[in-house]
Amino acid sequence: MSGASQAMHFKARAGDKLADRILQGALKKAQPLFTAKRRKGMASLAADGLDFAAMRAAAQAIRQRVLDDLDVWLEIFEARAVAAGAEVLWARDGAEAARLIVELAQREGVRTVTKSKSMLSEEAGLNAALTAAGIRPVETDLGEYIVQLAQEPPSHIIAPAVHKTIAQVEALFAEAHGRPQLARTSADIPKMADEARQVLRRDFLAADMGISGANFLIAETGSAALVTNEGNGRMVTTLPRLHVVLTGIEKIVPTLEDFATLMRLLPRSATGQDISNYVSLLTGSRRDGDLDGPQKTVFVLVDNGRAGLLGGAFEPMLRCIRCGACMNHCPVYFALGGHAYGWVYPGPMGSVLTPLYTGLENALDLPHASTGCNQCGSVCPVGIPLPDLLHGLREAQNARGLRPPGERLTMRLWGWLARHPRSYRLLIRLAARYLHWLGDDDAAGRRIRIFGLAPAWTAGRDLPVGPGRSFFEQYAARKRD
Amino acid sequence: MSDARAAIFGQLRAGLGKGDATARRAALEAALAQPPRGPQPQRPADLAARFRGRAEALSSTVDAVAARADVPAAVLRYLGARGLPPQAVATPELAGADWGALSLRFAAAVDADSVGISGCFCAIAETGSLMLLSAPETPATVSLLPETHIALVDVHRIVPTMEDAFALLRTERGRLPRAVNFVSGPSRTGDIEQTIVLGAHGPRHVHLILIGS
Repeated sequence: MSGASQAMHFKARAGDKLADRILQGALKKAQPLFTAKRRKGMASLAADGLDFAAMRAAAQAIRQRVLDDLDVWLEIFEARAVAAGAEVLWARDGAEAARLIVELAQREGVRTVTKSKSMLSEEAGLNAALTAAGIRPVETDLGEYIVQLAQEPPSHIIAPAVHKTIAQVEALFAEAHGRPQLARTSADIPKMADEARQVLRRDFLAADMGISGANFLIAETGSAALVTNEGNGRMVTTLPRLHVVLTGIEKIVPTLEDFATLMRLLPRSATGQDISNYVSLLTGSRRDGDLDGPQKTVFVLVDNGRAGLLGGAFEPMLRCIRCGACMNHCPVYFALGGHAYGWVYPGPMGSVLTPLYTGLENALDLPHASTGCNQCGSVCPVGIPLPDLLHGLREAQNARGLRPPGERLTMRLWGWLARHPRSYRLLIRLAARYLHWLGDDDAAGRRIRIFGLAPAWTAGRDLPVGPGRSFFEQYAARKRD
Repeated sequence: MSDARAAIFGQLRAGLGKGDATARRAALEAALAQPPRGPQPQRPADLAARFRGRAEALSSTVDAVAARADVPAAVLRYLGARGLPPQAVATPELAGADWGALSLRFAAAVDADSVGISGCFCAIAETGSLMLLSAPETPATVSLLPETHIALVDVHRIVPTMEDAFALLRTERGRLPRAVNFVSGPSRTGDIEQTIVLGAHGPRHVHLILIGS
């Protein structure tokens, strides 16, 4: 584990994020756009005569088939990638991956690295490692470029700068590009994108090494599959003399046909597109007579906690294809933004992965950062039961004694009461009377203004109270009438 | 064999608890020879019309000509309408034809090239995508560095789906080239306030010339 986690500070960060008006404005603007895009994608699927449930079952089966024999699929991938002329390196964790890449860059005399989006690079803390070695990493996805200028981590796995407003981006560009700051409106966004294009084009042409992630690794052909809209993925994997593919060991798909099936769901789930602008399959390096392409291609395949999930209760999480649909439909994500989660992956998938990859004890709040609404589970294109996995993590916390003593005692008492109906009913009768007694009557009904046992509940609203008698009492009384 | 590799495979095998990787590998490799397809979309009645509709929805512009001999005039027309000079970089596979008044350089593209002309291996009706293969006569940079990419698409090379494109690739080439690029319209970004802008890092304009009917 590397890439320092701040996930222990979720609650403190959540408070800050709720109070951040600029962030709240950006999130409020983004959420309906994300959900509308996926709806459009699903409509186009149906228009082609394809059923989401059937597509999801097929995608889930492909990913599960890989996990069922992941060791062998990785052997097949490695053999075929090497046969096609690539080199394959293995890293147990992010730090080892960063070390392998820094050593390779130093051996090859690399000074500038252009990067296409890789979340594994965030797990590995790769930019910091490269910078420390005197090598300049340049993020080239526009969103990643913005957060790199801001010296922040991405706040979303497919829209890294979703938390930034135009004004904030303009301030970053003005400083980085050495020009005065201008008043910008949404009409200026094309100009701003063009400015980044001009600046980054120089880096694309000058870089000695390109680093990309891989959306998938295709076992049949030993290829990396890369899905982008901006074309930066193609630049990074075509122009520099070295190409490094940095990705996780779970990204295998068996065949090109399986890849085609997943491609009907990935862009639609992520951005609502039927297909992303550029889908590339990269196999080996420059061939005899080729006029372009890297002379050397190196895969760095990283475990960082993945292998340990195989065969266990959390294995379904390894099916994830990183589309972002779960966070795009999560009320907790859109209340707080991605930075509140404190490590690399936000939203529901991040709340599952962060404790699993960085340690249960290092992300105690995340399995509880859920309303239980299951919107994430219902949109997931590979059928990951995210709410169930979050519940499983809560149980694991409890089993390891990681919950506070007060909460554990309360849960034990509740468990005892739930199994003893007489005592339960007696307590509920008393509680109903007590709550009624606590309330004050006003025009809107009887309400508790300040509830001493749980003051946070009434900090921003009143708690309406019932008539002072339990459901059972009322039911029995009506039956008598 | 690195320590890391051995450690990762050790843990994978412990978690799976399946044993005998050799037999499993033989079975999985045998299955790779007959890859099954997933659920397939409805086949459109008119492949060329579906391709054209999708390509236009992706913000490509589309022209149609009857024969390959009509292509130079169509290219000149397009460049003229855009106010661009009649010159471009083109993939070497296009060098054999008579390009008339067009001044073409058949090579890999460089940053200074503002227009790139390529053919395509095939095109996909389902998504309006071009399938481009890298090779000595079809360098990948021609469809990447210039601001404008003009692609020639033989209507007889339009296939229904990505799976059909892979089938064609297996039949005609046998193995994958260094790069297979599926290109679907001009490059775009939505990274500033989710506003879609055309022309991120790749071409800003993609113009397709359909050949034949």
